[in-house]
Amino acid sequence: MRTITYCDALREATREEMTRDENVYLIGEDVGRWGNLFSASKGLLKEFGPEQVKDCPISEAALAGCAVGSAVTGMRPIAEIMYIDFITIAMDQMINHAAKYHQLSCGDVKVPIVFRTQGGVGMRNSSQHSQSFENWFVNVPGMITVMPSTPYDMKGLLKSAVRNDNPVLIIEHKALYFTKGEVPEEEYLVPLGVADVKRQGSDVTIIATSWMVLHALKAAEKLQADGVSCEVIDPRTLWPLDKETIINSVKKTGRCVVVTEAPAEGGWSGEAATVVMENCFSDLKAPVKRVCGMRTGVPYGTELERAVVPNEDWIIDGIREVLK
Amino acid sequence: MNKEKTLELYEQMLILRHVDEMFYDLKMKDLIMDGFHPYSGQEAVAVGVSSTLNPDDVVISNHRPQGHSMAKGSTPKSVFCEMLGRRGGVSHGIGGPMQWIDAKNNFYCGSIVGSGMTIAAGVAMAMKKEAKGRVCVCYFGDGASNTGSFHEALNLAAIWKLPVVYICENNQYGEAMPVDEFVSCKPISKRAESYGLTGVTVDGNDIEEVVAAVEKAVIQAREGVGPFFIETVTYRFRGHYGGDPEHTYRSKEEVEQWKQKCPIKRTKAVLVSQGVSEKQLDDLEQKVIAQAEEDQKWALEQPFPTLEQATDHVMIPLS
Repeated sequence: MRTITYCDALREATREEMTRDENVYLIGEDVGRWGNLFSASKGLLKEFGPEQVKDCPISEAALAGCAVGSAVTGMRPIAEIMYIDFITIAMDQMINHAAKYHQLSCGDVKVPIVFRTQGGVGMRNSSQHSQSFENWFVNVPGMITVMPSTPYDMKGLLKSAVRNDNPVLIIEHKALYFTKGEVPEEEYLVPLGVADVKRQGSDVTIIATSWMVLHALKAAEKLQADGVSCEVIDPRTLWPLDKETIINSVKKTGRCVVVTEAPAEGGWSGEAATVVMENCFSDLKAPVKRVCGMRTGVPYGTELERAVVPNEDWIIDGIREVLK
Repeated sequence: MNKEKTLELYEQMLILRHVDEMFYDLKMKDLIMDGFHPYSGQEAVAVGVSSTLNPDDVVISNHRPQGHSMAKGSTPKSVFCEMLGRRGGVSHGIGGPMQWIDAKNNFYCGSIVGSGMTIAAGVAMAMKKEAKGRVCVCYFGDGASNTGSFHEALNLAAIWKLPVVYICENNQYGEAMPVDEFVSCKPISKRAESYGLTGVTVDGNDIEEVVAAVEKAVIQAREGVGPFFIETVTYRFRGHYGGDPEHTYRSKEEVEQWKQKCPIKRTKAVLVSQGVSEKQLDDLEQKVIAQAEEDQKWALEQPFPTLEQATDHVMIPLS
């Protein structure tokens, strides 16, 4: 199978969906002329024109409001917020409007929006351009929150999100855009709300999201040499959560480590741990362990920004703790 | 406006007024539970604006939506029910007095000040692409003109020449904050002009003036010339919300002075001067009151949503 980058997969999905349905359009800051910071929409302005690939002023509230208004008027926006840190300006439109209209209209109105953004460390951007905010959105009824970790998932999940009639937030990761993976030439979808077992194992279940999946896989590989068999689960969709895949895995392994780049306190990692606790308590041989980002603003610089978020060594330490 | 048209709009204003006063009484009895923002005094705006719209035009409103909604076609029965949180409501009683969607009448409202302006831009963007000559009208108050959404939305509407008509109801107060003290610019329409929209300020208590301005705006928007901004200068006769401590920010004398400029009173005088008899107008008012009372009675007999109904449609389940 051919190998492409996460960024290429994202561009292919956007292109295919805009070709399939002319109501699908991309709107965001510098999605057109620049073709996105990572070239994720490079060439699309030329191919689809300025009505379907819309550069938007630096007005995140208006951008998100435009997405909501156009979605309830028959269009299917892919609204890109350049950095997740800027989503704070768009929260009102996303939470108070996009996530409420279906219920407020008693099911009459659908809000088919994909909000795309990117978070996490990886570009030495410091504390206002490197954050992990997925936890906020998981807590909002009516919002679907997705974090793809591989090119295959990126493409398939984005295509599913565009075709879904709910507001969906896809949080990409800076450090993943140029990672490569197998992606078939032929069309496929990855369903929302379905986890993927990225590696099978029998001693411990690692639940990891986004870039942390790659670290978890490296940790699992290292521990294999010591005779520890790790199962790595990528939920892909943080909410609605595929509890079944998690529960089945922990029932088998009896141990669980949850890994997120976001700080642990009040976060989705606690939600995942609670799902395990509520459903697998009698199977657990050790308390669930969380390995999460430090509760700090992300500091500037290559070394320091990586020093405050989990890596394979942190994950290995966490696994050794539940194996004691 | 000819006599027939004026009479028709007069009747609509009467409906809005009497229904609103009944809402106020229901709020005082705690039957309307919370979030009710009276519209009495501003009727010429909603009725005047809607008289220029087609059913397939879209209206985005704010936390004081009842007049806008009924003028756009929502039935008084369904608005009574929504206010009361009953099943027959526009949003089946789960939205309440500040936020509902009447999809059939292309009407949306919400209680976050200013945000509707950005959503209206999106609706207008889709309409521009669709090119059927539809327009979006967005209502907001003087208070909203101080939000970020106001400025972001006006810029966007102007650069993309969107078919949207922004209606600022300057009712002199953002909650308890007087416009003269809390808005840096007078008239507010100047703000819109600075973003490149056509901006005008009209007497919002004069229905003819409102209609004339909105007609022009809607034509401009339908023809694709671009967005229009109308500041309607008006006054709410009651508090920001039903039962607010009005004495903390305005005097009874001030309220009385504005009541002399009541849009309904003024329209009535016009009709009388055009030869309509006082008796005919009084009969009309009695008919409106009787119907409103009947609608209220019906609404009070409707059931509340069950917990199951109230939490339905949170999202479309993943298949």
